Amino acid sequence: MEYRIVVEDLNVYFDELHVLKDVNIEIPKNAVTALIGPSGCGKSTFIRTLNRMNDLINTFRMNGTVLLDGKDIYNPKVDVVDLRKKVGMVFQKPNPFPKSIFDNVAYGLRVHGISDKDVLAQKVEDSLKEAALWNEVENILEKSAMGLSGGQQQRLCIARTIAVQPEVILMDEPCSALDPISTTKIEDLIHKLKKDFTIIIVTHNMQQATRVSKYTAFFLHGEIVERGLTEKIFIEPGDQRTEDYITGRFG
Amino acid sequence: MERRYPRILFQKRLDELKKDVDKMGQATIKTYQDAVSCFLSYDKELMEEVIQANKDIHLMNYDLEHKTMSVIAAEQPVAGDLRFIEASLKVGSHFKRIAGLASNIAEVAHQIKDEEIPDKPMLDLKHMADIVDGMLSKSLAAFLGMNMNLARELHRDDDKVDDLFDHALKGITTSMFQNKDAISHLVYLLFMARFLERIADRAENIGDRTIFMITCEKRNHLNGKKQ
Repeated sequence: MEYRIVVEDLNVYFDELHVLKDVNIEIPKNAVTALIGPSGCGKSTFIRTLNRMNDLINTFRMNGTVLLDGKDIYNPKVDVVDLRKKVGMVFQKPNPFPKSIFDNVAYGLRVHGISDKDVLAQKVEDSLKEAALWNEVENILEKSAMGLSGGQQQRLCIARTIAVQPEVILMDEPCSALDPISTTKIEDLIHKLKKDFTIIIVTHNMQQATRVSKYTAFFLHGEIVERGLTEKIFIEPGDQRTEDYITGRFG
Repeated sequence: MERRYPRILFQKRLDELKKDVDKMGQATIKTYQDAVSCFLSYDKELMEEVIQANKDIHLMNYDLEHKTMSVIAAEQPVAGDLRFIEASLKVGSHFKRIAGLASNIAEVAHQIKDEEIPDKPMLDLKHMADIVDGMLSKSLAAFLGMNMNLARELHRDDDKVDDLFDHALKGITTSMFQNKDAISHLVYLLFMARFLERIADRAENIGDRTIFMITCEKRNHLNGKKQ
Protein backbone atom coordinates (compact mmCIF):
# COMPACT_ATOMS: atom_id res chain seq x y z
CA MET A 1 0.00 0.00 0.00
CA GLU A 2 1.21 3.50 -0.81
CA TYR A 3 1.15 6.11 1.93
CA ARG A 4 0.89 9.80 1.20
CA ILE A 5 1.68 10.91 4.75
CA VAL A 6 3.69 9.10 7.41
CA VAL A 7 3.76 10.42 10.96
CA GLU A 8 6.33 9.05 13.39
CA ASP A 9 6.56 9.64 17.13
CA LEU A 10 4.76 12.95 16.92
CA ASN A 11 4.47 14.95 20.12
CA VAL A 12 2.86 18.39 20.12
CA TYR A 13 2.91 20.91 22.94
CA PHE A 14 1.32 24.28 23.49
CA ASP A 15 3.58 25.69 26.20
CA GLU A 16 3.59 22.92 28.80
CA LEU A 17 0.35 21.37 27.62
CA HIS A 18 1.13 18.04 25.95
CA VAL A 19 -1.58 17.81 23.34
CA LEU A 20 -0.47 14.98 21.07
CA LYS A 21 1.46 12.04 22.50
CA ASP A 22 3.62 9.62 20.51
CA VAL A 23 1.33 9.65 17.49
CA ASN A 24 2.23 7.19 14.77
CA ILE A 25 0.04 6.83 11.70
CA GLU A 26 0.27 6.24 7.96
CA ILE A 27 -2.27 7.91 5.70
CA PRO A 28 -2.97 5.84 2.56
CA LYS A 29 -2.90 7.59 -0.79
CA ASN A 30 -6.15 8.30 -2.65
CA ALA A 31 -8.35 7.13 0.18
CA VAL A 32 -10.40 8.76 2.91
CA THR A 33 -9.16 8.46 6.49
CA ALA A 34 -11.52 9.57 9.24
CA LEU A 35 -10.30 10.85 12.60
CA ILE A 36 -12.78 10.38 15.42
CA GLY A 37 -12.67 11.02 19.12
CA PRO A 38 -14.26 13.16 21.85
CA SER A 39 -13.91 16.92 21.93
CA GLY A 40 -10.47 18.06 22.97
CA CYS A 41 -8.72 14.81 22.14
CA GLY A 42 -6.33 16.39 19.62
CA LYS A 43 -7.88 15.56 16.24
CA SER A 44 -7.96 19.13 14.93
CA THR A 45 -4.50 19.85 16.35
CA PHE A 46 -3.27 16.77 14.53
CA ILE A 47 -4.57 17.76 11.12
CA ARG A 48 -3.29 21.32 11.56
CA THR A 49 0.11 19.74 12.16
CA LEU A 50 -0.06 18.21 8.69
CA ASN A 51 -0.04 21.58 6.93
CA ARG A 52 1.82 23.54 9.60
CA MET A 53 -1.17 25.68 10.51
CA ASN A 54 -0.07 25.29 14.12
CA ASP A 55 3.03 27.34 13.28
CA LEU A 56 0.73 30.36 13.52
CA ILE A 57 0.35 29.73 17.25
CA ASN A 58 3.46 31.00 19.04
CA THR A 59 3.26 28.51 21.93
CA PHE A 60 3.34 25.56 19.52
CA ARG A 61 6.26 23.17 19.55
CA MET A 62 6.64 19.64 18.31
CA ASN A 63 9.02 16.75 17.95
CA GLY A 64 8.81 13.72 15.74
CA THR A 65 8.48 13.60 11.97
CA VAL A 66 5.74 14.28 9.48
CA LEU A 67 6.63 13.01 6.03
CA LEU A 68 4.72 14.02 2.92
CA ASP A 69 5.73 11.72 0.07
CA GLY A 70 8.83 10.84 2.04
CA LYS A 71 9.90 14.43 2.76
CA ASP A 72 9.88 15.98 6.23
CA ILE A 73 7.49 18.96 6.14
CA TYR A 74 9.13 20.47 9.24
CA ASN A 75 12.50 20.75 7.53
CA PRO A 76 13.48 24.46 7.89
CA LYS A 77 13.99 24.63 4.10
CA VAL A 78 10.34 23.78 3.38
CA ASP A 79 8.30 26.55 1.75
CA VAL A 80 5.20 26.69 3.93
CA VAL A 81 3.11 28.44 1.25
CA ASP A 82 3.93 25.67 -1.19
CA LEU A 83 3.16 23.09 1.52
CA ARG A 84 -0.28 24.59 2.08
CA LYS A 85 -0.89 24.39 -1.66
CA LYS A 86 -0.11 20.67 -1.54
CA VAL A 87 -2.03 20.10 1.70
CA GLY A 88 -5.25 22.08 1.47
CA MET A 89 -7.81 22.55 4.20
CA VAL A 90 -11.58 22.88 4.46
CA PHE A 91 -12.91 24.17 7.76
CA GLN A 92 -15.98 23.48 9.84
CA LYS A 93 -17.63 26.79 9.15
CA PRO A 94 -17.66 27.65 5.44
CA ASN A 95 -15.33 30.62 5.04
CA PRO A 96 -15.60 32.04 1.52
CA PHE A 97 -13.74 35.28 0.97
CA PRO A 98 -15.95 38.39 0.71
CA LYS A 99 -15.38 38.37 -3.03
CA SER A 100 -17.14 37.07 -6.11
CA ILE A 101 -17.58 33.35 -6.65
CA PHE A 102 -15.05 33.51 -9.48
CA ASP A 103 -12.47 35.39 -7.44
CA ASN A 104 -12.80 32.95 -4.52
CA VAL A 105 -11.67 30.08 -6.70
CA ALA A 106 -9.14 32.14 -8.68
CA TYR A 107 -7.50 33.61 -5.58
CA GLY A 108 -5.16 30.71 -4.86
CA LEU A 109 -4.30 30.37 -8.54
CA ARG A 110 -3.29 34.02 -8.73
CA VAL A 111 -1.19 33.69 -5.55
CA HIS A 112 0.66 30.84 -7.24
CA GLY A 113 1.40 32.90 -10.34
CA ILE A 114 -1.40 32.24 -12.80
CA SER A 115 -2.62 35.49 -14.37
CA ASP A 116 -3.76 34.55 -17.89
CA LYS A 117 -7.52 35.24 -18.01
CA ASP A 118 -8.42 32.28 -20.20
CA VAL A 119 -6.36 29.87 -18.11
CA LEU A 120 -7.94 31.21 -14.91
CA ALA A 121 -11.44 30.95 -16.37
CA GLN A 122 -10.89 27.34 -17.41
CA LYS A 123 -9.37 26.31 -14.08
CA VAL A 124 -12.18 28.00 -12.15
CA GLU A 125 -14.76 26.19 -14.28
CA ASP A 126 -12.96 22.84 -13.84
CA SER A 127 -12.73 23.27 -10.07
CA LEU A 128 -16.37 24.28 -9.72
CA LYS A 129 -17.39 21.29 -11.83
CA GLU A 130 -15.25 18.99 -9.75
CA ALA A 131 -16.84 20.40 -6.61
CA ALA A 132 -20.31 19.75 -8.07
CA LEU A 133 -21.18 23.44 -7.92
CA TRP A 134 -20.79 24.64 -11.53
CA ASN A 135 -24.41 24.00 -12.59
CA GLU A 136 -25.65 26.15 -9.71
CA VAL A 137 -23.33 29.13 -10.22
CA GLU A 138 -22.19 29.24 -13.87
CA ASN A 139 -24.44 32.21 -14.57
CA ILE A 140 -23.63 34.15 -11.39
CA LEU A 141 -19.85 33.86 -11.15
CA GLU A 142 -19.53 37.61 -10.68
CA LYS A 143 -21.94 37.62 -7.75
CA SER A 144 -20.71 37.66 -4.16
CA ALA A 145 -19.97 34.28 -2.62
CA MET A 146 -21.65 35.51 0.57
CA GLY A 147 -25.02 35.19 -1.16
CA LEU A 148 -24.71 31.42 -1.53
CA SER A 149 -26.33 28.94 0.86
CA GLY A 150 -24.22 27.23 3.54
CA GLY A 151 -23.89 24.04 1.51
CA GLN A 152 -22.96 25.96 -1.62
CA GLN A 153 -20.40 28.02 0.30
CA GLN A 154 -18.77 24.86 1.61
CA ARG A 155 -18.59 23.39 -1.89
CA LEU A 156 -17.10 26.68 -3.04
CA CYS A 157 -14.44 26.35 -0.34
CA ILE A 158 -13.72 22.84 -1.61
CA ALA A 159 -13.47 24.19 -5.19
CA ARG A 160 -11.09 26.87 -3.92
CA THR A 161 -8.97 24.17 -2.26
CA ILE A 162 -8.80 21.85 -5.25
CA ALA A 163 -8.18 24.65 -7.76
CA VAL A 164 -4.51 24.71 -6.77
CA GLN A 165 -4.31 20.94 -7.26
CA PRO A 166 -3.33 19.79 -3.81
CA GLU A 167 -2.25 16.27 -3.06
CA VAL A 168 -4.01 16.09 0.28
CA ILE A 169 -7.25 17.66 1.46
CA LEU A 170 -7.78 18.10 5.19
CA MET A 171 -11.40 18.48 6.27
CA ASP A 172 -12.19 19.57 9.81
CA GLU A 173 -15.86 18.65 10.42
CA PRO A 174 -16.84 20.00 7.01
CA CYS A 175 -20.53 19.17 7.37
CA SER A 176 -21.28 19.98 11.00
CA ALA A 177 -22.75 23.39 10.11
CA LEU A 178 -24.81 22.07 7.20
CA ASP A 179 -28.32 20.66 6.73
CA PRO A 180 -28.76 16.96 5.88
CA ILE A 181 -29.12 17.45 2.12
CA SER A 182 -26.03 19.65 1.90
CA THR A 183 -24.21 17.07 4.01
CA THR A 184 -25.18 14.34 1.55
CA LYS A 185 -23.91 16.44 -1.34
CA ILE A 186 -20.57 16.99 0.40
CA GLU A 187 -20.26 13.29 1.22
CA ASP A 188 -20.99 12.38 -2.40
CA LEU A 189 -18.34 14.90 -3.40
CA ILE A 190 -15.82 13.30 -1.05
CA HIS A 191 -16.47 9.93 -2.71
CA LYS A 192 -15.76 11.51 -6.07
CA LEU A 193 -12.65 13.41 -4.95
CA LYS A 194 -10.91 10.47 -3.29
CA LYS A 195 -9.97 9.07 -6.71
CA ASP A 196 -7.63 12.01 -7.22
CA PHE A 197 -6.84 13.24 -3.70
CA THR A 198 -5.85 11.86 -0.32
CA ILE A 199 -8.49 13.00 2.16
CA ILE A 200 -8.37 13.20 5.94
CA ILE A 201 -11.64 14.11 7.63
CA VAL A 202 -12.30 14.94 11.24
CA THR A 203 -15.86 14.13 12.19
CA HIS A 204 -18.05 13.77 15.27
CA ASN A 205 -20.63 11.93 13.23
CA MET A 206 -19.97 8.19 13.53
CA GLN A 207 -22.30 7.37 10.70
CA GLN A 208 -20.54 9.87 8.44
CA ALA A 209 -17.21 8.23 9.27
CA THR A 210 -18.62 4.83 8.26
CA ARG A 211 -20.17 6.25 5.09
CA VAL A 212 -17.23 8.19 3.68
CA SER A 213 -14.00 6.65 4.97
CA LYS A 214 -12.06 3.48 4.28
CA TYR A 215 -9.75 3.96 7.28
CA THR A 216 -10.40 5.38 10.73
CA ALA A 217 -8.20 6.44 13.63
CA PHE A 218 -9.64 6.90 17.12
CA PHE A 219 -8.01 9.62 19.21
CA LEU A 220 -8.30 9.87 22.97
CA HIS A 221 -6.38 12.24 25.26
CA GLY A 222 -3.94 13.06 22.48
CA GLU A 223 -3.13 9.46 21.61
CA ILE A 224 -4.29 7.16 18.88
CA VAL A 225 -6.02 4.30 20.68
CA GLU A 226 -6.88 2.31 17.60
CA ARG A 227 -6.66 2.65 13.83
CA GLY A 228 -7.48 0.49 10.86
CA LEU A 229 -10.16 -0.30 8.34
CA THR A 230 -13.33 1.62 9.14
CA GLU A 231 -15.45 -1.49 8.73
CA LYS A 232 -13.42 -3.33 11.33
CA ILE A 233 -13.35 -0.44 13.80
CA PHE A 234 -17.13 -0.08 13.67
CA ILE A 235 -18.08 -3.76 13.65
CA GLU A 236 -15.33 -5.33 15.72
CA PRO A 237 -13.26 -2.71 17.56
CA GLY A 238 -10.22 -4.17 19.26
CA ASP A 239 -10.10 -1.78 22.22
CA GLN A 240 -12.87 -1.41 24.79
CA ARG A 241 -12.37 2.38 24.81
CA THR A 242 -13.08 2.47 21.08
CA GLU A 243 -16.22 0.37 21.57
CA ASP A 244 -17.39 2.61 24.42
CA TYR A 245 -16.86 5.75 22.34
CA ILE A 246 -18.42 4.62 19.08
CA THR A 247 -21.43 3.11 20.87
CA GLY A 248 -22.02 6.45 22.56
CA ARG A 249 -21.24 5.29 26.07
CA PHE A 250 -18.96 8.27 26.50
CA GLY A 251 -18.23 11.38 24.58
CA MET B 1 -12.25 12.21 32.52
CA GLU B 2 -14.92 11.54 29.91
CA ARG B 3 -18.57 11.96 30.79
CA ARG B 4 -20.26 8.59 30.63
CA TYR B 5 -23.72 8.21 29.19
CA PRO B 6 -25.60 4.99 29.85
CA ARG B 7 -27.88 5.55 26.84
CA ILE B 8 -30.84 4.57 28.99
CA LEU B 9 -33.44 4.44 26.23
CA PHE B 10 -31.21 2.49 23.87
CA GLN B 11 -30.23 0.02 26.60
CA LYS B 12 -33.91 -0.45 27.44
CA ARG B 13 -34.61 -1.28 23.81
CA LEU B 14 -31.75 -3.79 23.73
CA ASP B 15 -33.04 -5.41 26.96
CA GLU B 16 -36.50 -5.67 25.42
CA LEU B 17 -35.10 -7.36 22.34
CA LYS B 18 -33.35 -9.87 24.58
CA LYS B 19 -36.59 -10.58 26.45
CA ASP B 20 -38.40 -11.07 23.15
CA VAL B 21 -35.82 -13.60 21.97
CA ASP B 22 -36.08 -15.36 25.35
CA LYS B 23 -39.87 -15.50 25.11
CA MET B 24 -39.70 -16.78 21.56
CA GLY B 25 -37.09 -19.37 22.49
CA GLN B 26 -39.09 -20.65 25.44
CA ALA B 27 -42.21 -20.91 23.28
CA THR B 28 -40.27 -22.80 20.61
CA ILE B 29 -38.79 -25.26 23.10
CA LYS B 30 -42.26 -25.99 24.53
CA THR B 31 -43.70 -26.41 21.05
CA TYR B 32 -40.92 -28.86 20.20
CA GLN B 33 -41.42 -30.82 23.42
CA ASP B 34 -45.16 -31.02 22.79
CA ALA B 35 -44.56 -32.18 19.23
CA VAL B 36 -42.25 -34.98 20.38
CA SER B 37 -44.75 -36.01 23.09
CA CYS B 38 -47.39 -36.15 20.41
CA PHE B 39 -45.15 -38.32 18.23
CA LEU B 40 -44.44 -40.76 21.04
CA SER B 41 -48.03 -40.86 22.24
CA TYR B 42 -50.54 -39.32 19.84
CA ASP B 43 -52.90 -36.69 21.22
CA LYS B 44 -55.13 -34.79 18.78
CA GLU B 45 -55.51 -31.75 21.02
CA LEU B 46 -51.78 -31.52 21.57
CA MET B 47 -51.19 -31.78 17.82
CA GLU B 48 -53.55 -28.87 17.23
CA GLU B 49 -51.82 -26.85 19.95
CA VAL B 50 -48.46 -27.41 18.29
CA ILE B 51 -49.79 -26.26 14.93
CA GLN B 52 -51.27 -23.14 16.50
CA ALA B 53 -48.10 -22.47 18.49
CA ASN B 54 -46.10 -22.54 15.24
CA LYS B 55 -48.31 -19.76 13.86
CA ASP B 56 -47.92 -17.76 17.07
CA ILE B 57 -44.16 -18.09 16.91
CA HIS B 58 -44.19 -16.84 13.31
CA LEU B 59 -45.99 -13.71 14.54
CA MET B 60 -43.48 -13.31 17.35
CA ASN B 61 -40.71 -13.37 14.76
CA TYR B 62 -42.41 -10.63 12.71
CA ASP B 63 -42.60 -8.50 15.86
CA LEU B 64 -38.95 -9.15 16.58
CA GLU B 65 -37.96 -8.15 13.04
CA HIS B 66 -40.01 -4.99 13.28
CA LYS B 67 -38.45 -4.05 16.62
CA THR B 68 -34.90 -4.68 15.42
CA MET B 69 -35.46 -2.50 12.36
CA SER B 70 -36.81 0.28 14.57
CA VAL B 71 -33.78 0.09 16.81
CA ILE B 72 -31.40 0.12 13.85
CA ALA B 73 -33.15 3.10 12.25
CA ALA B 74 -33.36 5.11 15.45
CA GLU B 75 -30.16 4.26 17.25
CA GLN B 76 -27.72 3.41 14.43
CA PRO B 77 -25.89 0.80 16.48
CA VAL B 78 -22.32 -0.25 15.85
CA ALA B 79 -19.85 -2.78 17.20
CA GLY B 80 -21.14 -5.11 19.95
CA ASP B 81 -24.62 -3.57 19.95
CA LEU B 82 -24.92 -4.09 16.20
CA ARG B 83 -23.69 -7.67 16.45
CA PHE B 84 -26.22 -8.40 19.20
CA ILE B 85 -29.10 -6.97 17.15
CA GLU B 86 -28.04 -8.84 14.04
CA ALA B 87 -27.71 -12.05 16.06
CA SER B 88 -31.18 -11.52 17.57
CA LEU B 89 -32.65 -11.31 14.08
CA LYS B 90 -30.91 -14.50 12.98
CA VAL B 91 -31.69 -16.41 16.18
CA GLY B 92 -35.35 -15.40 15.86
CA SER B 93 -35.35 -16.73 12.34
CA HIS B 94 -33.86 -20.04 13.52
CA PHE B 95 -36.51 -20.41 16.24
CA LYS B 96 -39.21 -19.68 13.71
CA ARG B 97 -37.90 -22.46 11.50
CA ILE B 98 -37.59 -24.86 14.45
CA ALA B 99 -41.22 -24.18 15.33
CA GLY B 100 -42.10 -25.01 11.73
CA LEU B 101 -40.25 -28.31 11.97
CA ALA B 102 -42.01 -29.05 15.27
CA SER B 103 -45.31 -28.53 13.47
CA ASN B 104 -44.09 -31.01 10.81
CA ILE B 105 -43.36 -33.53 13.60
CA ALA B 106 -46.91 -33.12 14.90
CA GLU B 107 -48.23 -33.81 11.40
CA VAL B 108 -46.08 -36.94 11.18
CA ALA B 109 -47.56 -38.03 14.51
CA HIS B 110 -51.01 -37.63 13.01
CA GLN B 111 -50.06 -39.72 9.96
CA ILE B 112 -48.78 -42.70 11.96
CA LYS B 113 -51.20 -42.52 14.87
CA ASP B 114 -52.94 -45.78 14.02
CA GLU B 115 -49.88 -47.66 12.74
CA GLU B 116 -47.72 -50.32 14.33
CA ILE B 117 -44.20 -48.88 14.60
CA PRO B 118 -41.20 -51.16 15.31
CA ASP B 119 -39.52 -50.57 18.69
CA LYS B 120 -35.93 -50.21 17.49
CA PRO B 121 -36.42 -47.18 15.20
CA MET B 122 -38.71 -45.57 17.76
CA LEU B 123 -36.06 -45.91 20.46
CA ASP B 124 -33.43 -44.39 18.17
CA LEU B 125 -35.71 -41.49 17.36
CA LYS B 126 -36.52 -40.94 21.03
CA HIS B 127 -32.83 -40.85 21.82
CA MET B 128 -32.27 -38.30 19.08
CA ALA B 129 -35.22 -36.25 20.30
CA ASP B 130 -33.83 -36.16 23.85
CA ILE B 131 -30.46 -34.84 22.67
CA VAL B 132 -32.14 -32.26 20.45
CA ASP B 133 -34.28 -31.12 23.40
CA GLY B 134 -31.08 -30.50 25.37
CA MET B 135 -29.54 -28.68 22.43
CA LEU B 136 -32.45 -26.27 22.16
CA SER B 137 -32.26 -25.29 25.82
CA LYS B 138 -28.50 -25.01 25.57
CA SER B 139 -28.63 -22.81 22.47
CA LEU B 140 -31.05 -20.37 24.11
CA ALA B 141 -28.98 -20.27 27.31
CA ALA B 142 -25.79 -19.72 25.30
CA PHE B 143 -27.28 -16.77 23.41
CA LEU B 144 -28.94 -15.08 26.41
CA GLY B 145 -25.94 -15.63 28.66
CA MET B 146 -23.34 -14.92 25.93
CA ASN B 147 -21.81 -18.21 26.97
CA MET B 148 -19.08 -19.34 24.59
CA ASN B 149 -18.57 -22.73 26.29
CA LEU B 150 -22.19 -23.71 25.92
CA ALA B 151 -22.19 -22.48 22.34
CA ARG B 152 -19.17 -24.62 21.49
CA GLU B 153 -20.73 -27.71 23.13
CA LEU B 154 -23.48 -27.57 20.53
CA HIS B 155 -20.99 -28.66 17.85
CA ARG B 156 -20.33 -31.91 19.70
CA ASP B 157 -24.03 -32.41 20.38
CA ASP B 158 -24.82 -31.95 16.70
CA ASP B 159 -22.19 -34.53 15.77
CA LYS B 160 -23.96 -37.00 18.10
CA VAL B 161 -27.30 -36.27 16.46
CA ASP B 162 -25.78 -36.74 13.01
CA ASP B 163 -24.42 -40.15 14.08
CA LEU B 164 -27.81 -41.13 15.48
CA PHE B 165 -29.45 -39.95 12.27
CA ASP B 166 -27.26 -42.32 10.24
CA HIS B 167 -28.02 -45.11 12.71
CA ALA B 168 -31.76 -44.41 12.64
CA LEU B 169 -31.70 -44.32 8.85
CA LYS B 170 -30.17 -47.79 8.72
CA GLY B 171 -32.69 -49.09 11.26
CA ILE B 172 -35.67 -47.66 9.42
CA THR B 173 -34.56 -48.86 5.99
CA THR B 174 -33.92 -52.35 7.47
CA SER B 175 -37.46 -52.33 8.82
CA MET B 176 -38.72 -51.32 5.39
CA PHE B 177 -36.96 -54.25 3.76
CA GLN B 178 -38.32 -56.59 6.40
CA ASN B 179 -41.86 -55.34 6.10
CA LYS B 180 -42.66 -53.91 2.70
CA ASP B 181 -46.32 -53.45 3.57
CA ALA B 182 -45.31 -50.97 6.23
CA ILE B 183 -43.25 -48.76 3.92
CA SER B 184 -46.02 -46.19 3.50
CA HIS B 185 -45.93 -45.31 7.20
CA LEU B 186 -42.30 -46.20 7.94
CA VAL B 187 -41.32 -43.44 5.50
CA TYR B 188 -42.72 -40.97 8.05
CA LEU B 189 -40.06 -42.17 10.48
CA LEU B 190 -37.48 -41.08 7.91
CA PHE B 191 -39.12 -37.66 7.83
CA MET B 192 -39.08 -37.57 11.64
CA ALA B 193 -35.36 -38.39 11.72
CA ARG B 194 -34.74 -35.69 9.17
CA PHE B 195 -36.77 -33.09 11.08
CA LEU B 196 -34.82 -33.85 14.27
CA GLU B 197 -31.53 -33.60 12.41
CA ARG B 198 -32.55 -30.25 10.95
CA ILE B 199 -33.62 -28.91 14.36
CA ALA B 200 -30.24 -29.93 15.75
CA ASP B 201 -28.53 -28.04 12.91
CA ARG B 202 -30.57 -24.95 13.71
CA ALA B 203 -29.63 -25.17 17.38
CA GLU B 204 -25.97 -25.46 16.36
CA ASN B 205 -26.41 -22.41 14.11
CA ILE B 206 -27.71 -20.45 17.11
CA GLY B 207 -24.51 -21.43 18.90
CA ASP B 208 -22.39 -20.29 15.95
CA ARG B 209 -24.28 -17.01 15.81
CA THR B 210 -23.63 -16.52 19.52
CA ILE B 211 -19.91 -17.12 19.04
CA PHE B 212 -19.82 -14.62 16.17
CA MET B 213 -21.74 -12.08 18.23
CA ILE B 214 -19.14 -12.28 21.00
CA THR B 215 -15.91 -12.67 19.04
CA CYS B 216 -16.60 -12.17 15.31
CA GLU B 217 -15.19 -15.69 14.94
CA LYS B 218 -16.70 -17.53 11.98
CA ARG B 219 -16.89 -21.25 11.47
CA ASN B 220 -16.11 -22.44 7.96
CA HIS B 221 -18.90 -24.88 7.34
CA LEU B 222 -17.08 -26.47 4.46
CA ASN B 223 -14.27 -27.79 6.57
CA GLY B 224 -15.45 -27.14 10.12
CA LYS B 225 -12.49 -24.89 10.81
CA LYS B 226 -12.61 -21.59 12.69
CA GLN B 227 -11.79 -18.39 10.79
